[in-house]
Amino acid sequence: MTAWLVGLTIGLPWLGALIVWRVPDHSPQRQHGIAVIASLLTAAVSIGLLTTYSTEVALRLHIGGIFGDFILVPDGLGVLLAAIAAIIGSLTVIFSVAYMEHEACLSRYYALVLIFIGTMAGLVLAGNLLLMFFFWEITALCSYALIAFDHDNPAAVAGGLKALVITQLGGIGLLIGALTAYGRFGTDEIAVLLARAETLSKTELSLIAFSFLIAAMAKSAQVPFHSWLPGAMEAPTPISALIHAATMVNAGVYLLARFYPAFEDVTGWTTAVMTVGIVSALLAALMALVANDLKRVLAYSTISQLGYMVFAVGAGGIFASQFHLLSHAMFKALLFLGAGAVIHSVGTRDIRQMGGLWRSMPQVTIAFIIGAMALVGIPGTNGFWSKELILERGVEDSSPVFVVGLLIGVGLTALYTLRLIWLVFGGTPRFSGQVHEAPSAMRISLGILAVGSLVTWLLVSPLSKMLAETLPYHHLHSETTRDVISDVMTAPITVLALGWVALGFLLWGFHHRLGWLIARLQLLSQIAGQDFGFEALNRVVMRSTSTLAERLRSTQTGELNWNIWGIVAGLVVILIYVAVEV
Amino acid sequence: MNDEELTLLGVVILFGVGVYGLLLTHHLIKIVIALQIIGKAVIIAFAVAGTMSERVQLAQSLIVTIIVADTMVAVISLALVIQVKQRLGTLDARELSNLRR
Amino acid sequence: METNSVATLIALPLALSPAAYIVERLNRKIHPGWLALLILALAWGVLGVAAYEFDREGTLTYRVGMMQLQLDGLSLFACGAILTLGTLTVIYSLDYMAEEGAADKYYALVLLLLGTMMGLVCTRDLFNLWVWFEAMAISGSFLVAFYREQPASLEAGVKYIVQSALGSAFILLGIALVLAETGTLDLQEIAQLNQDSVMLWAVGGLFIAGFGVKMALVPFHTWLPDAHAQAPSGISALLSGLVIEVALIALLRALTCVAFSWGTLLIAFGVVNMLVGNLLALRQTQIKRLLAYSSLSQMGYMVFGIGVGIYAQTLDGFEGGLFHFFNHALMKGLAFLAVGAFIYSLETHQPLQISDLRGASRRYPYIALALSLALLGLGGLPPLAGFMSKWQIFAAGIAVHEPLITLLVIFAALNSVLSLAYYAPIINVLYSRQTQVEIEQGRAVPPLMGLSLLVLSGAIVVIGVYPGLLHGALEPAARVLLTAFGG
Repeated sequence: MTAWLVGLTIGLPWLGALIVWRVPDHSPQRQHGIAVIASLLTAAVSIGLLTTYSTEVALRLHIGGIFGDFILVPDGLGVLLAAIAAIIGSLTVIFSVAYMEHEACLSRYYALVLIFIGTMAGLVLAGNLLLMFFFWEITALCSYALIAFDHDNPAAVAGGLKALVITQLGGIGLLIGALTAYGRFGTDEIAVLLARAETLSKTELSLIAFSFLIAAMAKSAQVPFHSWLPGAMEAPTPISALIHAATMVNAGVYLLARFYPAFEDVTGWTTAVMTVGIVSALLAALMALVANDLKRVLAYSTISQLGYMVFAVGAGGIFASQFHLLSHAMFKALLFLGAGAVIHSVGTRDIRQMGGLWRSMPQVTIAFIIGAMALVGIPGTNGFWSKELILERGVEDSSPVFVVGLLIGVGLTALYTLRLIWLVFGGTPRFSGQVHEAPSAMRISLGILAVGSLVTWLLVSPLSKMLAETLPYHHLHSETTRDVISDVMTAPITVLALGWVALGFLLWGFHHRLGWLIARLQLLSQIAGQDFGFEALNRVVMRSTSTLAERLRSTQTGELNWNIWGIVAGLVVILIYVAVEV
Repeated sequence: MNDEELTLLGVVILFGVGVYGLLLTHHLIKIVIALQIIGKAVIIAFAVAGTMSERVQLAQSLIVTIIVADTMVAVISLALVIQVKQRLGTLDARELSNLRR
Repeated sequence: METNSVATLIALPLALSPAAYIVERLNRKIHPGWLALLILALAWGVLGVAAYEFDREGTLTYRVGMMQLQLDGLSLFACGAILTLGTLTVIYSLDYMAEEGAADKYYALVLLLLGTMMGLVCTRDLFNLWVWFEAMAISGSFLVAFYREQPASLEAGVKYIVQSALGSAFILLGIALVLAETGTLDLQEIAQLNQDSVMLWAVGGLFIAGFGVKMALVPFHTWLPDAHAQAPSGISALLSGLVIEVALIALLRALTCVAFSWGTLLIAFGVVNMLVGNLLALRQTQIKRLLAYSSLSQMGYMVFGIGVGIYAQTLDGFEGGLFHFFNHALMKGLAFLAVGAFIYSLETHQPLQISDLRGASRRYPYIALALSLALLGLGGLPPLAGFMSKWQIFAAGIAVHEPLITLLVIFAALNSVLSLAYYAPIINVLYSRQTQVEIEQGRAVPPLMGLSLLVLSGAIVVIGVYPGLLHGALEPAARVLLTAFGG
């Protein structure tokens, strides 16, 4: 039974992709229909999977030789993330029905989205490293194809390539780590690595730990590998929701959480993880503060929130990180789809040309504000509970510097979120033309996600139980919702955090009088606007590679005598080498 | 220095002459001639090798095979050179460098 | 076991290739291509028998006069690869070459090329190794210069024949030295003598340089982009997908007679080939030339894997290298055939530029998909075959547990990412929504060409998802090399 559910969670979307890909372009209704049905079925199966979690291997495919067995294990962590991918994924598909209306190449679009969902499920359910890496790389491939979906837009193509290359570079980390483990254990099963990590030599374990960290950073867009994520904003908006909430970026946090027990004793690893998290959280929040592209602001906020999750893993808060991942998936999907509805009707992504939208699209406004409240962490939303858990974890298990960093991040989040809402929905319209409320397909998705953002925190008890029961190496103990409520409510950090949120709001309230501060921030905002120089670094690497390539090409002169010189020189080099070796 | 070593020295010199020709001449016919010189050096090398290892019979049959193959290469390359001359009107290898980069 | 199935396997295409040449003159109704296909089908049957015998009896041998043939695990694997891509190319060519004329010559030469390649991998004697090698080079030279009315083909042909003649002279000189030193040319006898002499080490150097020309090791590679880009696309597929790899096997066979650890040198060549191949391809705009340069880099992975195998005596290194050989044959074969399909439908005689394919997926969705699969597979992305063979090569490298080798594996992985920087933009161009006018007016691609592309695409995906499929054939092949280099 479990085997079927696992197989179907991965296989159904792939099958759906194959079917929808074969539907010709002149029947868009069938394309929409098949995609929606396939994604909803997957979501249903994944919910079924949530009820049958276990630590047992559900599927084992013997490959032989160096490839060993491909195994799938539906443990708590896996089924949770698979369900997030499938459910949020299906909502983005429903949203796409309205958003992608009248677009060309829909069959390719839906096929890729479905493959993406299935691959993400495979990635988190994989029980051995090769299979995990296999799915890991396919997510990179899907994101590339979807970001560059509009192949005539050079920015989209460049964004897609960048996402591909950067996540592939990170993928090398996973490759090296996985192969090192394989080289020692003779098997690439994840459970073996977790169980026998301490039998590895110190250097090897560090190599694996830090390689995996690099892989996670690239995938979860942590500084300095973050620059692909803003570039990914050229994708159709539902894809952004998919990448940011349901799939792709979650993989990095998942990787760290999955292998935390193996690496926690590696010298400097947890500190490195926490530092990466905090730095990303703060830098990205600053960038969000100065960005003027609606989707870019949300993209930076994703990096920032992922920073919190990465930090939580580093601080040992596995449950807190995954809980925040769930909250984030809900509210970020909501925000992106809300943004999609806005962009769809206004026709621009520049928030300076929006304003006053609450009058014309009240329902979208309400949904967006619920998402924003969750992002800020206002009590009553899921973001509040999960973020407070992370903060609590930070107070318990890290140094005060980190806690201060976390709190500043909370304030900045409040500030940029308020700025965003004000500029988009508040004030008077700064654009011309008619704006209409979102179509029903969009509102269905938004409504479900808004409700989700308000209630998913009630799932604390079952989630906690599920993770505690199926992650033997993580030593989690299950907590009930009531425990969490009383914990959070009595923790001093909660009050402090709310104080910072209030301060953030207050600062925005005075933003007209804060001219002097903004002038001071001008320089910072310029640097932040250019990604703190990381973008320039990317360009230097690219340019020098292509100069080198061009130089090398001139050695291919096409002249016969020159070619003979090459052959003779090569022979001489080999003979010298042989002579030296002898 | 005995006979065999002397001949081997000759082989090396002959081979060197051929390679030198390939490196420096631009004339296609001369390039084919240089290849032929290298081929002859190799044939002599086999003759010496046969006497040195007392496998003259074997060496002889090998040499015959090599001569056949060598001739085939010469024929094909000359045929190509003729085509080049007819279609491009030149025998200069330097002008045969449109495929580059 | 002494059997004649080995001889039949090789003799079939060789002996019947003249039949393909004259058949149309005897009876206009018989197309030489279909005859070639029939001959290959028979060869498949013989290969099946040989595989069955091999399975029961182990290594098969056959002696004709001076020549001794031997079918071991490695030859069996290589013959399988040769027949696979060879058959698919012939099927493809039935339509592709239909309008070119000179079909008689074409199929006769293809059969000759396939036969000599199979002979090359089945030999156990150094001199016969050279004879087959030379025969392969000669039949290849006709195919490179197949369009002899085109100046570019002539140029490529001249460079090809001169450079490979020089390479083959190196090999011959090496063989003469082996004869002088050991008095025998049988590979196994020489290996058993296990002689340490300076002369033999120099011979190894001559072999690497000589075979290196045909394998396109840097800096012996300069002829390759010209020859592979100018040949008809089916031939490009055979040259890039098989000929250079078979030359690698020939080199490995020849090197077994020299007791010297070649691992380090091969690893170095592998690494250099990857980088130079990628950089040369990075800014290339002609698609067939780009694919030719990418062969350099892919050859680098194979040589790297086998170098690791020799260096650390691991089966996985050899198996990974050979696995990549097979996958590269499929992927590069598919890439060239798909590009050929575009050339066919555009009816162009100019070198095809990448930009000529703008929006090709609108008019030719299946061919565009096939080409994309081939390119992504070459870039090492799952779920395609190239991913799995690279994984095996890298795994073998890391398992050596030496920091330098680990660094080189990272370098190789970085090279895979670099290669995506030229593969991926081609796919972006294919899936562009604006369409080149020529593409819109292109003619339909005939079913037989599509069939070859379909089979190759399917194989790439299936192997990518289930890499164990070939383990049964690869393991004995790798074991042959491991024993031969086991010292």
